[in-house]
Amino acid sequence: MAESEEEVDVLVQRVVKDITNAFKRNPNIDEIGLILCPEARYNRSPIVLEENKLGVESWCVKFLLPYVHNKLLLYRQRKQWLDREALVDITCTLLLLNPDFTTAWNVRKELLQCGVLNPEKDLYLGKLALTKYPKSPETWIHRRWVLQRLQKQCSSGFGQKEQQAQVEAQGEAERSRQSEQLQRALQEEMKVCTEAAGRYPSNYNAWSHRIWVLQHMAKGNLKILHDELSSTRLWVSMHVSDHSGFHYRQFLLKALLGELGQSWEKLQTGNLHLPPHPPTDSHQIPHTNGEGTAGAVEDPHSAIPQLFHEEMELCTDLIESYPGHETLWCHRRHVFYLWHHWRKHSPAAGAQSLVLTHTAALLNETSDPHEEGRSLQAMDVDCVPDSNKHGGYTQDTKRLKRGPVPPCPGLSSEHVFVSRILSSCRSPEQGRFANAYRKWLDSVIRQ
Amino acid sequence: MGTQIKDVVIKSDAPNTLFLDKHADYIAAYGSKKDDYEYTLSEYLRMSGIYWGLTVMDLMGQLHRMNREEIVDFIKSCQHDCGGISASIGHDPHLLYTLSAVQILTLYDNVKAIDVDKVVDYVRGLQQEDGSFAGDKWGEIDTRFSFCAVATLALLGRLDAVDVEKAVEFVLSCMNFDGGFGCRPGSESHAGQIYCCTGFLSITGQLHQVNADLLGWWLCERQLPSGGLNGRPEKLPDVCYSWWVLAALKIIGRIHWIDKAKLRNFILACQDEETGGFADRPGDMVDPFHTLFGVAGLSLMGDEQIKPVNPVFCMPEDVLQRIGLQPDLLI
Repeated sequence: MAESEEEVDVLVQRVVKDITNAFKRNPNIDEIGLILCPEARYNRSPIVLEENKLGVESWCVKFLLPYVHNKLLLYRQRKQWLDREALVDITCTLLLLNPDFTTAWNVRKELLQCGVLNPEKDLYLGKLALTKYPKSPETWIHRRWVLQRLQKQCSSGFGQKEQQAQVEAQGEAERSRQSEQLQRALQEEMKVCTEAAGRYPSNYNAWSHRIWVLQHMAKGNLKILHDELSSTRLWVSMHVSDHSGFHYRQFLLKALLGELGQSWEKLQTGNLHLPPHPPTDSHQIPHTNGEGTAGAVEDPHSAIPQLFHEEMELCTDLIESYPGHETLWCHRRHVFYLWHHWRKHSPAAGAQSLVLTHTAALLNETSDPHEEGRSLQAMDVDCVPDSNKHGGYTQDTKRLKRGPVPPCPGLSSEHVFVSRILSSCRSPEQGRFANAYRKWLDSVIRQ
Repeated sequence: MGTQIKDVVIKSDAPNTLFLDKHADYIAAYGSKKDDYEYTLSEYLRMSGIYWGLTVMDLMGQLHRMNREEIVDFIKSCQHDCGGISASIGHDPHLLYTLSAVQILTLYDNVKAIDVDKVVDYVRGLQQEDGSFAGDKWGEIDTRFSFCAVATLALLGRLDAVDVEKAVEFVLSCMNFDGGFGCRPGSESHAGQIYCCTGFLSITGQLHQVNADLLGWWLCERQLPSGGLNGRPEKLPDVCYSWWVLAALKIIGRIHWIDKAKLRNFILACQDEETGGFADRPGDMVDPFHTLFGVAGLSLMGDEQIKPVNPVFCMPEDVLQRIGLQPDLLI
């Protein structure tokens, strides 16, 4: 067992090397962890590599951490020189043990800037740190910096190629290589987020990072928004207490509302260009052909009510299957709010709201809540009042005739839902949340 | 039957009186264990750690027990050429620790110990075109940093150094349908971010832009049957969230909407009778962070053994009066 300063020095240097070698030996390490082991076992390295798991025996951490910690700080104060390779190794060990050590990530940013590290490798280190510390704010912050850099590199690559106007084919090949690289990075980010979300419930940092990724790397990409909505559906159904996961879906719905609404406006004014984004956006991940482009001309009249219909159905189903979860009721508030707001304010909702106002007028005349439900089901798009009165968009009727608009929630159907839950509920929590929702409908929505 | 609600049960033998002396001893002794492994592990946030410790000592009327000279020297050696201040020596400067350092020096009535003009330049340099603030030169954006920026400048009497109008615009763009705020536009509402954003709007005189009833509603829904408050739906109650929610409620004039007696009971139960200090929840390990927010929460609810605390800056009111700073509160 190491005791003297010199012995500790030797021991720790060996351990740092062992860690570096473990990564060389197995580039597919996918998880790190601490092995509880208060005493050193004779003549054995505290670094254990089993399949793709890297473990550190706990006894050595109290030597290892202060050593790499002090070494880096001495370097930062220019009291001790470290070569680039040593810096890479030391920051790696340090960050796997203490990923919120901001300055160590900053040293790696500098190493990235001078080309010693590549972005993928650094994202990989962060991914490993997140397997043990899924919340670590500094790890997520560093990822955003690396991703932004990756994106800039790709877009400046495009720019140069364009300016030089060199051999077209070569430019194209480079462009597609870079866009593939960005696509891969985006897909990998989504995986990292899902994994971290699974390791820590309501992981704010993981889910807000995922939102950031969409906002910065997939802006306006309908296909990705749709893909995300469908790929998180099962996840939230299995994590009904995870408000952050549900909030992500709220974000997706809102983003889809915006995008679909925009393409509708462009359609109306004849300003819709295909592909939907001009070349200046080329640092964004390009829209893949097929669904992405087709999505841009999706008809918001039916697409948006369809989205809300499905989300409210999911929410109803989950509230009934898992009574007493505040998260689900919060989700309902937000989804209903978005829907209500869209119907009231969006120009694309114009024809739709006429249908619904008309139906609502009918509904208000019936007093039996069960009757209301039936009327809603029976709603027929062909009963839409004269569409010429509304903006004169001649295609309205044609588009509406494509298929029946699904029964979407209104204030009255929400009240019916609350009454139904209250009449059959045996969980006091469920009752409390249902009553709070009713109060919210009355005071926030009715305003 | 539904799932059991996520909360804690307060045992009948949990502490129900305030052990101020114990807490002062705990904080006074904390800094003396500098060789501890734990101490190394938390060095990346040392400056904030010192702010937590000193503020709670001041609230308890025990600031004189801390080593003023040593701390002021330490802060001086953490100021960098760019004007920003780091968590500790050899670490990189950041807005988070710049605010903590300015708060500490304000407690000691000694901001002149550092180069104030350079601090102001540093903060100004971090403002972005859209009004937001980066936390440091690497560019991460977060509403927390908007709060840090204006709080630092307000304490230095230099709020005019940045574009306040733009800064307000950015923070308001992070407001959600539930009246709350997240870290960036589109992010989930979070009690910690709400504290920062309402504090920001208070300092910049823009609280009228908050929907106080709606936000107050969301904040009150954070109170659980145990009396403790959580930071988001279906999270466990926590002493630090109890402070952030409570302070935000105080800022928007809705503190009377929660059950104070039950919250007090929860906070008291988080004390460690033997070692002193507060933990996040009853029975957990204590730390200076939760100790400050436990004591500050009790102060905000009117405990007379503690000095009155300011909900925006989380500093003793008398200190802010001394520098003539009175951030707005809604009534």
